[in-house]
Amino acid sequence: MSEHREGVIYDARLIRRLWAFVAPYQLWLWLSLALLLLTSAFGLARPWLLKLAIDGYIGPNQMSGFGWLLGGVALAIIGELICRALQTYTLELAGQNALIELRKAVFKHLQGLSASFFDRTPIGRLIGRVTTDIESLHEMFASGVVTILGDLINLAGILVILFWMNWKLTMVTLVVVPVLLSITLWIRIRVREAYSSMVTKRSVLNAYIHEQSTGMPLVQAFRREKRTRDRFDEINDELCDSQLESVTWESVLSAVTDLLSSITIGLILWYGGGLALEGLGIDPGEDHFSTGVTLGTLVAFLQYMDNFFGPLNDLSLKYTVMQNAMTASDRIFKLMDTEEHIPETKNPQAPDQTRGVISFKNVSFGYGDDLPVIRNLSFDVAAGERVAFVGATGAGKTTILKLLTRLYDIQEGSIELDGIDVRQYALDDLRRRVGIVPQDVFLFAGDILDNIRLGHPQISVESAARAADELHLDRVTRRMPGGYHEPVRERGANLSSGERQLIAIARVLAVAPKVLALDEATSNVDSEMEHLLQGAVTRVMENRTSLIIAHRLSTIRDVDRILVMHKGRLVEEGSHEELLARKGTYWKLHRLQYSDAAPTPTAETE
Amino acid sequence: MLETLRPLWPLLRRYRWSYLVGLLCIIISIWLKLRIPRYFWSTLDELRELELSETTAELSQYSDLILHASLLILVSAAVIAPTRTVSRLLILGTSRKISRDLLAQVFAHMLKLAPSFYGRNPAGQLMSRCINDREYVRSLGGAVFMYLAETITLYAITIPLMLAIDFQLALIAIIPYPAFLYLANRLAGKIQTTARAAQNALGEISEKVDESLSGQLVIKTLVLESQDLERFTRRCEEFRRLNLQVTRLRALLFSSMMGLAGLSLLLVMGIGGERVAAGQMSFGEFGVMITYLAWLAAPTRILGFIISSARRGTAAYGRVREILDSEIELRQELTSPLEVPRMEHGAIRIEDLSIVYPPLSQQPHLSGSLDDRHVGSEADVKRKVLDSIDLEIPAGTTLGIVGHTGSGKTTLARVLARQLAVAPGKVFIDGHDITSFPLNELRAETGYVPQEAFLFNESLTENVAIGAEHSTEEQVLKALNNAQLGKDLDQLPDGLDTLIGERGVNLSGGQRQRTALARVLLLTPRLLILDDTLSAVDTHTADAILDHLRPFAAQRTTVLVAHRLSSLSHADQIIVLEEGRIVERGTHEELLSLGGQYRSTWDLQEQSESAAAIAEKLRAELEQEAQQ
Repeated sequence: MSEHREGVIYDARLIRRLWAFVAPYQLWLWLSLALLLLTSAFGLARPWLLKLAIDGYIGPNQMSGFGWLLGGVALAIIGELICRALQTYTLELAGQNALIELRKAVFKHLQGLSASFFDRTPIGRLIGRVTTDIESLHEMFASGVVTILGDLINLAGILVILFWMNWKLTMVTLVVVPVLLSITLWIRIRVREAYSSMVTKRSVLNAYIHEQSTGMPLVQAFRREKRTRDRFDEINDELCDSQLESVTWESVLSAVTDLLSSITIGLILWYGGGLALEGLGIDPGEDHFSTGVTLGTLVAFLQYMDNFFGPLNDLSLKYTVMQNAMTASDRIFKLMDTEEHIPETKNPQAPDQTRGVISFKNVSFGYGDDLPVIRNLSFDVAAGERVAFVGATGAGKTTILKLLTRLYDIQEGSIELDGIDVRQYALDDLRRRVGIVPQDVFLFAGDILDNIRLGHPQISVESAARAADELHLDRVTRRMPGGYHEPVRERGANLSSGERQLIAIARVLAVAPKVLALDEATSNVDSEMEHLLQGAVTRVMENRTSLIIAHRLSTIRDVDRILVMHKGRLVEEGSHEELLARKGTYWKLHRLQYSDAAPTPTAETE
Repeated sequence: MLETLRPLWPLLRRYRWSYLVGLLCIIISIWLKLRIPRYFWSTLDELRELELSETTAELSQYSDLILHASLLILVSAAVIAPTRTVSRLLILGTSRKISRDLLAQVFAHMLKLAPSFYGRNPAGQLMSRCINDREYVRSLGGAVFMYLAETITLYAITIPLMLAIDFQLALIAIIPYPAFLYLANRLAGKIQTTARAAQNALGEISEKVDESLSGQLVIKTLVLESQDLERFTRRCEEFRRLNLQVTRLRALLFSSMMGLAGLSLLLVMGIGGERVAAGQMSFGEFGVMITYLAWLAAPTRILGFIISSARRGTAAYGRVREILDSEIELRQELTSPLEVPRMEHGAIRIEDLSIVYPPLSQQPHLSGSLDDRHVGSEADVKRKVLDSIDLEIPAGTTLGIVGHTGSGKTTLARVLARQLAVAPGKVFIDGHDITSFPLNELRAETGYVPQEAFLFNESLTENVAIGAEHSTEEQVLKALNNAQLGKDLDQLPDGLDTLIGERGVNLSGGQRQRTALARVLLLTPRLLILDDTLSAVDTHTADAILDHLRPFAAQRTTVLVAHRLSSLSHADQIIVLEEGRIVERGTHEELLSLGGQYRSTWDLQEQSESAAAIAEKLRAELEQEAQQ
């Protein structure tokens, strides 16, 4: 019981939060509610007018003024349809506007969440928040709160009129209502259970189809068709069974509603008929009072009861809609409550010029709590200096670049750009000053040129193409029929990793930041691409402070200084020659690697 | 509409008795339901007559009449309830079964469609057809059929009943209905188109969120948040616009329905009222008319739903049908049913093989899966991926394929793995045309490892043993060891039983590739095809794998696609592809001395050994030092 109450309080809190998004459009909402009241009033007037027609004109055969009454009926009909149309539209207007605000708010919130949040949250689930869950809220707007309110008002109105017309008859008629309500509720619970098991099974089927059609070439190559099909049929059958269960309960429910409404007609006839006899002037016996039930009353009663059962039956259905909406908004607000942001400083500093002096001081950092990835790291980079990081996978090289642009915040020490702690910059300002070329390049839908511009207002098509030409990207796009306008398919599946990185370098070149952070691609590329990448990296390092995670010897030779990383620590630093001369680890490494080959092959071969 | 649905008939036929009995139940229940107002009103009429007749009636006469009618109503209601339940159960239940059968049929067909089909049609698109569209088809055979049957039955019984009561009045009352049908049909069509557009817009929102979140690092580091929000907002606004339009159309449909039903009521009230007053019509008849009219108006409210669902269901069935109608590109071309070729040695011969893809817009596409922007653009041209290939791979030898990205290496590998359809008379295995082999036979003898290593959401063991389910743990371990994945096992939480794939432990690119390789090592194929299988594996491990692979490959015809030329040095024959043509061929040494493209690539690769390898060695060195 208390759990239930807590649930109600919780729901109230959710609705209050939702209200914040509806509030700017509440005028439409109130208008819609007012129109709903009018609609109800017009709807309720109709049976009453029918009663008047029968008792006042048709029954006693006094047809003068009957035309006026018909006019009244026409007015009620027209009024109802106009009000209902407007009501539906205003409600949707309020709902759509509120939801677009909510959708934007969720999206903005997602944009602001830090990289660590995305490290552990599957994207598929987040997409569901912005689409499916918000659509459940839409359903709530369309056939939830306001409609339920309208139904309740309508039911109350009907009850008042019925009691006013004849309270005894009403009491008798309403005998079935508690029965209907309890049966409906009981069946609804069964339906909901069957429904939720159906939803689970449907998502299993969904996932299975997605998985198997993605891996279909393998299924076929390894002749797994039979097994795959058997498993599929199994899931498909289970889904069908759970659907059949909910169909069963729903069929029973609609039959029960029908049965009870027919019984009500019987009751009205049995009891009302008796009362009507009095109204017809027949004295059914001495124990009865005169009740004034007329034929018109009976007709109106029947019509009101028709209007009564429909919404009553729907009410439990709408309750389910509401519950879904509450579950959805709970999930949405839980996401909105995730405060995993990189904190913004209140008084950001913004020096006019970026010189590109970088300094790491005793920096320690770990993604989780237990595993430090960077341990007490300190180094300085002068303006315009080119620095390469060398080390094994897991040495923490990529992390350094992520820390510099504050994708993650460090736990100890400080990182400074031009003598100012990176935490003292506004985030977007900091990231504008430092251009990043990641190893796994993400390509957006669109063509190659779109992917260089990325909707940056300050980059024109021309300057994007110029950046691309400078990197000889045209040599790559030449073999594509679309050239620079070749569409990027499936996040770039039609491009090799080298080509993707070339595009990413062009992106940075087009924005022209003062500081470059580049993570070279590791995968094997063919020789032409190797050459192109080499040229691109050299070109992009010109005139800017460059931090490069190097995988190519040519790059290592190009830089001013090499930092050798091991398990999050800096173990050696110096230029290629210095490090060789020092005869330390780097020298050992070099000797190991090139004992057979010529010690210093010329950099360019073409 | 009926034309589109005709193929659905075989699925329906199995359940025709369910439908017939369901229909019968509908007729019975509606017929009984229509009796109830007549009992009610005729009793009132009789009461009135009794009262008006001057003879003094006994009180018991009145009560008997009332009791009799009340009982009749209750009995009818008692019969209606179960009949109605049965009709719903049969029709709605059957529709679920039909939808299940349809999906099973679609999936069975999907199992036969060639990999190229899946290349053209993303899984999301297929999933949406199998799930969302199927739901609409189901409602076509369920709710739509039921409501339609109920409505038709109701009209078919009610209208004659009304005509029998008062021919003229009934005729006047139903005059507005044809106009209504016409209007509803038109509006429902518009609603359907707009609702579909809204559905697509929602799909675009979801695509946009997917893209923005997948690319969040880029967006953050390039400070693209506001532009991205802008793009997102634009899609949301389009969605809102379409939704509001649907609402406007719905409101219009609904109010015009209400208006017409109201007009009908008004006519009956006016004319009927006059008649009753004039004594031409009884009260009871008037009451029955009014009640019937209310009932006739009720289905008109869902008629809009029926029409739009019927159209949507038909369109959806068309979309599902597209999958079923997709051509099975890979099939055995039967030359002679008596002589089924078998692969015995695995000698391959290719004669003048060319593969040309038609322009994007002319390839068979499922509707809606082709971006309009690309149709007719400069990218929309035909592409020749393989050009007059002549090649002989003797049984048991190894062929190496090298070339730039896009030179046709993968296409050639896929042709040999029978993943890509070729015309007859081009590719021969052991002297038989490749298209004349039964697919199953061919695949049993082919071990193919594609470029992208796909993992199923299953345990590591299950993933490795997908082609040989009954392998022992020992065999699986051996395959894993040969693929150099054995040493990674202790990093996995549950060892061999670790769940991998999308929902399981995330394996690195190299680990995925090694898993894919282990799959093949568990089999004993005649033909082994590895398409750049080691691209994400570090050089050191790759060399170890190649060492283990050598004895395995020695007994088989092997095709190796590679970027690193050193992994091909043992091949019996190497071809260099350039824009779909073979530009150089020979052994490693021959090609080196030829001094062409192979030579220059080799020199470059020798020189620029990656710093990753340097780092790897460094780490080993440092660890050794630490131990000392």
